Amino acid sequence: MGLLAWVIMGLAIWHYTIWLPDRFWGGIVGALVGSLIGSIVFGLLIFGIKVSALRIPGQKATNVGVVLYAVPGALIGMAVIYLVGMRNERAAAQLELP
Amino acid sequence: MTDRRRNFLILLVVAGLIAASAAVIATKKTRLGLELKGGVQLTYQARPTAQSKVDSESLERAISIMRKRVDQLGVAQPEIQSSGEDQIDVALPDVTNYTRAQEEVGKTAQLFFYDWEPNVIGASGEPAPKEGTATGDPGDPGGAAAGLPEYQAVLRAAKRKPILPPKASDLVSLQPGCTAAQVGNCIYGSWYLVEPAHEKVLRGPEETKHNLYSDLKIPKGAKTEAVHINPGTVLVQAHATEDEATGKVLDASPNSYYVLNDNPVLEGKDITSPTQSFNEGAGGNGAPNVTFGFTSHGKKVFERVTKEIAHRGQEAQLPGVTHAEALQHFAVVLDDQLITVPSIDFQQYPEGIDASTGSEISGGFTITSAQNLANELQSGALPVKLLLISKSQVSATLGKQALKQAIEAGLAGFLIVCLFLLFFYRVLGLIAIGGLTIYAVYFYGLVKLIPITLTLPGIAGYILTIGVCADANIVIFERVKEEIRGGRSVISGIASGYKHGFAAIVDANVVTFMTAFILFALATAEVKGFAFTLGIGTLVSLFTAVLATQAALGTMSQTRAVTHPAALATKRRGKGWRFDFMGASKWFFSMSGTILLIGALAIGAEGLNFGIDFTSGTRVQTAITRPHVSESEVASAVAAAGYASAQVQKFNNASVGGSGYQISTKTLEPKKVKDVEEALSRKFEYNGKPGIKDFSATSIGPTFGRSVANSAVIAIIASLLVISAYIALRFEWKYAVPVLIALMHDLLITSGVYALTGREVTTATVAALLTILGYSLYDTIIVFDRVRENVPRMPRAAFSQILNRSMSEVLTRSLATSFCTLLPVVSLLLFGGETLKNFAFALVVGIASGAYSSIFIASPVLMHWKEREPSYRARRARIARELGEVPAFATDATGALEDVEPEQKRRRTRRGSLIAPEGPGQQLTHDEFQELVADLDVDSPLDSAPAAPPVRGARRGRGAQGGVAAAPPRAASAPAAEPPAAGRDPAADLTPEDLVLKETRKPRQKRPRNKRHGRSR
Repeated sequence: MGLLAWVIMGLAIWHYTIWLPDRFWGGIVGALVGSLIGSIVFGLLIFGIKVSALRIPGQKATNVGVVLYAVPGALIGMAVIYLVGMRNERAAAQLELP
Repeated sequence: MTDRRRNFLILLVVAGLIAASAAVIATKKTRLGLELKGGVQLTYQARPTAQSKVDSESLERAISIMRKRVDQLGVAQPEIQSSGEDQIDVALPDVTNYTRAQEEVGKTAQLFFYDWEPNVIGASGEPAPKEGTATGDPGDPGGAAAGLPEYQAVLRAAKRKPILPPKASDLVSLQPGCTAAQVGNCIYGSWYLVEPAHEKVLRGPEETKHNLYSDLKIPKGAKTEAVHINPGTVLVQAHATEDEATGKVLDASPNSYYVLNDNPVLEGKDITSPTQSFNEGAGGNGAPNVTFGFTSHGKKVFERVTKEIAHRGQEAQLPGVTHAEALQHFAVVLDDQLITVPSIDFQQYPEGIDASTGSEISGGFTITSAQNLANELQSGALPVKLLLISKSQVSATLGKQALKQAIEAGLAGFLIVCLFLLFFYRVLGLIAIGGLTIYAVYFYGLVKLIPITLTLPGIAGYILTIGVCADANIVIFERVKEEIRGGRSVISGIASGYKHGFAAIVDANVVTFMTAFILFALATAEVKGFAFTLGIGTLVSLFTAVLATQAALGTMSQTRAVTHPAALATKRRGKGWRFDFMGASKWFFSMSGTILLIGALAIGAEGLNFGIDFTSGTRVQTAITRPHVSESEVASAVAAAGYASAQVQKFNNASVGGSGYQISTKTLEPKKVKDVEEALSRKFEYNGKPGIKDFSATSIGPTFGRSVANSAVIAIIASLLVISAYIALRFEWKYAVPVLIALMHDLLITSGVYALTGREVTTATVAALLTILGYSLYDTIIVFDRVRENVPRMPRAAFSQILNRSMSEVLTRSLATSFCTLLPVVSLLLFGGETLKNFAFALVVGIASGAYSSIFIASPVLMHWKEREPSYRARRARIARELGEVPAFATDATGALEDVEPEQKRRRTRRGSLIAPEGPGQQLTHDEFQELVADLDVDSPLDSAPAAPPVRGARRGRGAQGGVAAAPPRAASAPAAEPPAAGRDPAADLTPEDLVLKETRKPRQKRPRNKRHGRSR
């Protein structure tokens, strides 16, 4: 259940990237991958630290707090993809300069 | 063959099939599922035994034995079939004594005969033939008094060393690498889970340690221990305790066990013709018993063993030992419980018992239990152990009510769809209604002919395919109207409309069919019925919606009914949709994000309300005869039956005659459900009538829920993979990713809505979710199909303009198809019974979300992704440079939409060419391009380049005027007029195929066609 909530949260946050300039590595799809991976990994990490075990929260263990674990992960995931995209753009621009 | 003759032939075939279907409908009976006619549905999970693994062969053998048992019970039209890798579904309609049926059908019925005294294990852990405290001799051998409590018996048995069968090959291994020693999950002896503090056995015997813990809720704080009993030792339960005077069974399952050396002399397969009889011989008491004969091997062994027992008795009769004390015994064990332990009278049978006249098992039988045993022995022992994981009992009245509701919902759905078609498409609508009626007749004929067992989900599938069938017509009719509006004649418009609409319909239907196939292959029995009808319906609808209606319309195309302008409603529609879909997608994305955010939080706050299909438990629904009964009264009646924690909920439902009660409790065994039924019936007895009516119960074990969830996850993943592969093949792989994102969006939004509304998630919901996978693609494919078509026709437009244009062309069609499918689904939601309502709710959310996501999610994602391609980036840059912005639509000088001509002839392109790959604008020839440049008064960047040959697969359009959506002249006259050398990107104005390396061919001298190369003949 926790995994489902994290995926939904990751997908929800990704929807707002439409307002950002498309500099993500892999474009809007790259942003989605970053958001989903980030939300799941971060969710697992925080929940894992909390229960001292690497496992996915079940129906009973999933609450609003657990769902929100995905938020920083999704943002970080997308930020990483954005930075990679920007770096690639800069590298491409430098190649074109001469 | 002329079109007219072809149409006539098709109509003839259609009429012939209608006649055949009518004949089948009139002569064959409809096979109704249990939920529509009442009965019991049982689902068993097979577990391996030391004798047999669970594989297709053992399941088939088990099914054959179960069928024999059901036949012996006289159940009409039972359905027994395997489901998945290890499950067996048993449907028993019209069963009066269902408790007996379900007890009998899944019983392992393994019968063993033991020489008693030499095999009973004493306190030392070794056989103790003379230890009366171990064997129960002479008073009551095998009785409850002499046995040990189960926990003590387990500890005694655990002391024993392994005794392996003579041949190591007799051991059955579950996996490669199993040896005569315990390895992993190899079957080697048996396992018990005990709680030493309370000297309790929590579970056992199980074949593997893993099985001990599966689906078991261990009480909090309980310290458990798994105890292994080596092969060669078994625990058998003492025989039932009876009242000596009356013979009535006092305790059928006493907590008293014997430890035996597992060395049976005979098995169930060694006996023949078991029959229920009465003990009426010399000294007989007239009690029911089971008589049987022996096979030749059984006869020899029985005579030898009884002779040995008699001799042993003679030897035991020493001075001071009474006759009774010297008697030795023979034990009969059925499914690990002693049935009887008769003595062999050495005085009466000094040389053993002659087996030629057979033998009998007697003691403690009622007529029914004796009959049951005889039947079980007759049908044979099941090769595998069966665990009842789900049971559903539906009363016949409830079934009839559900069928009535389903028919009403179906008819309502059909009528609404007909009205919609008639209102929007007039004559075309009338033809579509004809197509729908033909579809309904064919489908019902097929249901009866195959025959398909009609279940509630199956009817839902049937009703849904009515919408799908109408969708196919809408897609074609919209296309026909478009072609006629574009200037074609009615006849040509119809032909062209069917031709162009067909690809989209095939794509959409193939995806639906594939989803149905995956559902059928992977899902549980309840969902299978739905998947089968959906699959068959999709195929039949393709025939009726495309072939039959085309023939009808073609035949009528020269009549006034069709040629009249009002008939087809083809009057030109103003400017059509001029909405900047791609521009507005930002807002729609945000809206979707917010909905998903709310859904995720709702899942966190409320969670999903999983039904007993997933959580396990028993749900009873019943009406109470006595009026004005409160929930607490029902709860107290259930508590009195021993289930104090049961939850009682009152509900109003016509299916249970007004007000009914739903009782939810932990999973109850079939016998305990019967106890609850009887307790309620007694408690609420009213004017001499039974207290309850329309009793139905469903019991689901945890294993069943897990298998449903697992199969759903596998089906979703498999569907996504197959759908992606298909889209990638039919379109382009970049089109598959937005489709997957849109599907994910639909599924997750549906999950969020379920969390928000608190609706119960059942197996029907899972089926609906999987259907959404197939159906929400329908719209996306329609949109993408038009994008695919417009890409080569708008070689200078930005991708957002192509998408806006495509969307504006197909939006009406897309909305109409979604609305048309929603109509029957909404009728299911309004008029269907509880199961159908649940199913329809998920579909309504999914279909609505699917229509929305194909326009506002899939298409913008495709746009963002495609516009990263260099060719589209260049186009966008050029347009922005020329106009200062990228307009939403590619417009002409007057600001009107550029007319995109219907595509003419498209030659098949060869893929894989390195020098001239397919790409945007590939279908514009060099000549056309030059013509276009001349029209626009732009300098061609290719002027100085050698003339490129026509691109493979290029078409010759009607001319540049309508063949492409060109940039407006304003654009052409200003920056485009600058010479290329003035710092302008020369590639910006190129069509995408010009951006790739062209193969320059030397002009070749044309040879006469008949000129042959090589050696002259």
